[in-house]
Amino acid sequence: MNQTLAIERPRRWDQPFGPGMTESDVDRVLGLDIFRDIDQSQFPKDQSLRHIIRNDGRVVRYQRGDIVVRDGDYGSSVFVIMNGSVRVVFDDVAKSGLVGTATTPKRSVLSALRQVWSNDRMPEVRDVATYQGGDALSIRGESTAARTFIKDVDAFMAEHETFPMTEGQAFGEIAALSRTPRTATVFADAPLEAFELRWQGLRDIRRRDRKFREHIDSLYRKRRWAQELVEVPLLAKLDEATLEEIAQHALFETYGEFEWFTSYKRARDSEDVLKVEPLIAEQGAYLDGLIIIRSGFARITERLDKGERTIGYATTNDAFGLEDIVDHWRDEAGLHLRHSLRAIGNVDVLRIPTALVEQHVLPNAPAHLLRGHTVRVGSAGFAETGPSGLEQSLIDFFVDNRTINGTATMLINTDRCVGCDDCVRACAAAHNNNPRFVRHGATHGNIQVTNACMHCVDPVCMIGCPTGAIARNQADGRVMIDDRICIGCGTCANSCPYNNIQLVEIRDSSGSFIVDEATQQPIVKATKCDLCYGQLGGPACERACPHDALVRIDMRDQRHLAEWVRRS
Amino acid sequence: MTFAVRALRNTAFLVLASAIVLGLTWGYGLSLHDTAFLSGWMLLVGVAFLTAFNLRKKLPVLPLLSVSTWLQLHIYVGWLVIVLFLLHTSLRWPTGGLETGLWLLFVAVALSGVIGIVLSRVLPRRLRLHGERLIFERIPAFRAQLAGEVESLAMDSVTQISSNTIAEYYTSRLQPFFRKPRNVRAHLLGSNEALQRLRREIRSLERYLDSKGQEALKEIEWRVAAKDNLDQQYAVQLFLKGWLFVHLPLTYGLVLVAVVHAVVVYAFDGGSL
Repeated sequence: MNQTLAIERPRRWDQPFGPGMTESDVDRVLGLDIFRDIDQSQFPKDQSLRHIIRNDGRVVRYQRGDIVVRDGDYGSSVFVIMNGSVRVVFDDVAKSGLVGTATTPKRSVLSALRQVWSNDRMPEVRDVATYQGGDALSIRGESTAARTFIKDVDAFMAEHETFPMTEGQAFGEIAALSRTPRTATVFADAPLEAFELRWQGLRDIRRRDRKFREHIDSLYRKRRWAQELVEVPLLAKLDEATLEEIAQHALFETYGEFEWFTSYKRARDSEDVLKVEPLIAEQGAYLDGLIIIRSGFARITERLDKGERTIGYATTNDAFGLEDIVDHWRDEAGLHLRHSLRAIGNVDVLRIPTALVEQHVLPNAPAHLLRGHTVRVGSAGFAETGPSGLEQSLIDFFVDNRTINGTATMLINTDRCVGCDDCVRACAAAHNNNPRFVRHGATHGNIQVTNACMHCVDPVCMIGCPTGAIARNQADGRVMIDDRICIGCGTCANSCPYNNIQLVEIRDSSGSFIVDEATQQPIVKATKCDLCYGQLGGPACERACPHDALVRIDMRDQRHLAEWVRRS
Repeated sequence: MTFAVRALRNTAFLVLASAIVLGLTWGYGLSLHDTAFLSGWMLLVGVAFLTAFNLRKKLPVLPLLSVSTWLQLHIYVGWLVIVLFLLHTSLRWPTGGLETGLWLLFVAVALSGVIGIVLSRVLPRRLRLHGERLIFERIPAFRAQLAGEVESLAMDSVTQISSNTIAEYYTSRLQPFFRKPRNVRAHLLGSNEALQRLRREIRSLERYLDSKGQEALKEIEWRVAAKDNLDQQYAVQLFLKGWLFVHLPLTYGLVLVAVVHAVVVYAFDGGSL
């Protein structure tokens, strides 16, 4: 008989955020203004405030010039300054020069042509000089302790507008609360000691302590919310006073896990993927407010017999429930949700009370927005659904596989693809003879979701990158890896739920592997599709397909998607 | 725009362009010129343009319209060139060695082109409907894997169920089947008779085996079906890739002989030009 191996059930804090936290560190943190007045009796014994501080937080130290957070990067933690000071950079990230590839100029025609004969014959050849260049940024430290730093802080401060933050002040709460990218770059302008609290701890303290919640939320509202409301197309025409009123009454809610890719990978092959998708709003429930998705994406479902069928999906700035509120406003129909909304991954929503929507939003909203940006779903039918008439099972396929996360998903119509591999060759030609995708992937009918970076709406690959090498390009939203500051730790490749990032061993121009001085092990870099950044004419793969089989498509644009699917 | 609408639009352009070409040639003839010179030059320029398509494919990083646009131009200019060819040859058989060679080359290039584009539209769907779509270069590895698994099943059956039936059938029928791609012609014609036959043979062995042997046989049967899919993928993809190896060399041959033809025409024009 086989012996069953018994182990202790894994628990939340088996892997603390910072393993080096001591009781004395916890005492110091609890002495900070922001935590001092928290009523510790509100916390259960097994999840006390001390437990949270100790396990969900860590004390991090930075040298002068180290970048703590960078505009555009994904972060999931809030920082409180314990010792030292930081500077917040006002200039946007491209202008500040604190990124690499984003500033790469577009090629000239001659330069593009030159690639035909000047591309290296060996794979993954790099010019070592680019790792030692004279950029504003450099790297110190290794692995997850690696830091990018500004080489000449004084010169940088003289050239760019910054403002200081000192002991006791907090920053980074916007990204931690809303899963949006960091909204500013912050660097240490003196040796810095800061307490970093990951979002799980922030969530728990915020939930238990009203004063703490109010403090953090007030920071968030002050620094971000007004801007967020303006960014919602439905609210864009409202005046400042109305927006202020909405801001006061709107609720900010978060659903799902921050690092959803872990549970998704587990659930991917299970039969009931809905189990990992928490309900945001349930069919039949009273519609207390308009739900606007601020980040992430959600599945719209309708009850069918004993299950739920997918009838659409929603993403950033989509409004859910608007159709029902409009019907109530115009015809006094009942205020009940006709469909359910489920969080796919991590979703931030604004819930604006129905009365405010009817009073301020609907009378001022352009007619096309009431039709276009609303998530309208079709009547029940087994073959087709949704505003676009996509096949029901195809929507399920896209949503179940999280393909809807892509803003430049590579889809191939296998009924037109002859397998000539011109797309792969074109990709290689545009990337120094290194193809950045594999012409293979999950398939539904004649639609293949190819293994190429999708440049996701919610790029979870960016979570945890220790140097900020993988970042979203501020100009056009593509997700790119700055090869110069990538340390090859593989965090991004492990996080990508779609296996679209590869780690490669790099070589010099003679074809020899470039190795680490200390260990003599090959240097590794993360690589992926960059949508042919800097090349002329857009993604080479799409332009190279002779048979119109391949497309790079924004999955949020369901009409375009449906047109493409129905083209043949 | 759907592909059907695009095809209609392009066909309309083709008809219009053909009418213009015919009109030009007719007008040229009215001025008592030999229309063969005009149609010949248009034909040569057309063929040169068609040949440039391959050059465009070699320069994927240049913004010279998408390759799919080029292919559409290639297809419809190709049809126009056929019209020009008919006009140029006046629907007469060629005379002389050079002209016959040129005529044959043109017909071969045009035919291979038409066949190629038809197959490009038909075969991918057939690949999908038959089974999982695979990367061509990976097929040999998959085939070797399946062959290894079937060999193990057959050999294990000798020791585990004390029967030689599966092993003997493997040696005589399955080993050759798994050794290399089979039934290429049948797969190109869309026939699955070979798979049906193997399945019948495998199922006919069931009566000689106990339950364990029948289990092994089932394991073998699905691998046979998987290998048949590999063969189908191999045959069809080989054809999809291979027809260009006919079309392209013939095209270069055609361009070369066409240039020689033009030189000869001018060399022996006898002052008529």
